[in-house]
Amino acid sequence: MVFGLRWAGSGVFLVTEIRVQLHEWLAIVTGTLTPGALLVFVAVLAPDLLAVTVIGALVYSMFLIGQRVLNEAAYIRIDHKLNELYHASPLTPEAYFIGIAGGMLVAYLPPSLVLLVILEILHPLSPFALLVLAACLLAVWAVSATIGYVVSTLFKDMKTIWPYSALLTNLFGILPPVFYPLRLVPLEWRSAVLVLPTSAAAVLVNAAAGLEAITAEEAILAAISLGAEALALFAFGIYWARRTARER
Amino acid sequence: MATDIELSTQPQRGRVLPAWAWIGWRWVWRSPAAAIVPLLQPFFFLYFLHLIAPAEYFPLQVAGAMLFSTQNIGSWCLSDSAVFRIELRLQDIFVASPHDKMRYLFGVAFSNLIPAAPALIALGIILAIVTSVSLVGWLVLLACILTIWVLYSAIGIAVSSRLRSQREVWPVGNLIFTLLGILSPLYYPLSILPPVWREFAHLLPATYAALLVQGALGLGPAGSVNLAADAGLLVLSTAVGLVAAWWLYQWRER
Repeated sequence: MVFGLRWAGSGVFLVTEIRVQLHEWLAIVTGTLTPGALLVFVAVLAPDLLAVTVIGALVYSMFLIGQRVLNEAAYIRIDHKLNELYHASPLTPEAYFIGIAGGMLVAYLPPSLVLLVILEILHPLSPFALLVLAACLLAVWAVSATIGYVVSTLFKDMKTIWPYSALLTNLFGILPPVFYPLRLVPLEWRSAVLVLPTSAAAVLVNAAAGLEAITAEEAILAAISLGAEALALFAFGIYWARRTARER
Repeated sequence: MATDIELSTQPQRGRVLPAWAWIGWRWVWRSPAAAIVPLLQPFFFLYFLHLIAPAEYFPLQVAGAMLFSTQNIGSWCLSDSAVFRIELRLQDIFVASPHDKMRYLFGVAFSNLIPAAPALIALGIILAIVTSVSLVGWLVLLACILTIWVLYSAIGIAVSSRLRSQREVWPVGNLIFTLLGILSPLYYPLSILPPVWREFAHLLPATYAALLVQGALGLGPAGSVNLAADAGLLVLSTAVGLVAAWWLYQWRER
């Protein structure tokens, strides 16, 4: 009963967010631009890396959902003051967080499906690789949505948000080996990048797809890091949503 | 009418540019990430390109990053002028003041050049390290940067005047400036692009800026006829772009 009450309104809010986001088709299209740009760079300059880059684009697209959660949560709170209304309703804070994160995930899936089709044409995945891909993408979504939501609660105006959201997406998405293979990273940096959720996910999928050979230790480090970060951060996101539901 | 009389007694010229520069600087000062991100943004792309592309393209990519950073100022102008108009209602005050439209446009562009300047200077230093640049090369690069700055700032401000909500700023800005940045051969030679893309790139002013800079730095075809043609087409396409931006821009709310 208590558990049920905790999630009251989740379904309705999730559907509301999906509908709101699907109306923002331009934002969905533009979300594909940075991965699209990097795909273009690779197609022009290093076509042999294209399959790895498409997997990177899938992981990056999932990570970008965090940026969208950040913008949406901040927009609802700062510009529209709508979160006050939501929190005064039977909708619980955790349902609010899950609703935004889940709504973004569903609304932003179509570009990822297009990338998946391209990947299947370039380098067909085995059922095992598809399973690894799905698990890794879900883990990246959990991490990025939490980071986006938590960061959104720290700002008081919209204008200061974009540098931080751009910094986060670049630091997690472009610098580590997400769009390029792990073998291009110097040996001494490999353990460090395998702890980052985005590069851990990309490396695991590349390995499962047979695009890159990694050692058992590297696979274990990447899998444990990604799994632990996803679970811990998502739990923290729920805790943070409860804690920051009301403005002080 | 009374307002007209009062306005005519007010100073019509003033220290407008320093004031706008101060606005740009204050934004950087109050939001350090706003200073760091534009500085880092071109380096993220350069790092990625350095890993995947042949090493001989690196000087070309550094010069391209300078033009790309300048082009991105247009996106910041779009965002700023949208915030001034939609959120702060500041544009109404400018419209009512003796500050004319042209100075307002130039001021917004100038205030956004300030946060980009450190990145441009850092990239210039890297360029000087990775390739030898003649005085003419620097002058051409500077002229191209100024041209691209004026044109893309005008496009950003003009587009922002048509936006109705802050929510549109990010997708519209991203769509326009990322697409234009990718389609122009800033990070790769025009010659390696597929034919259709190459033809389309010839419609964009940044393409001519890139070709001119690459030619002047000895990183691409450098015949004097080529350079003169690229310079002429850059001026022409910039003029067309500025006229289009002027036509699109709305100074007063209807």
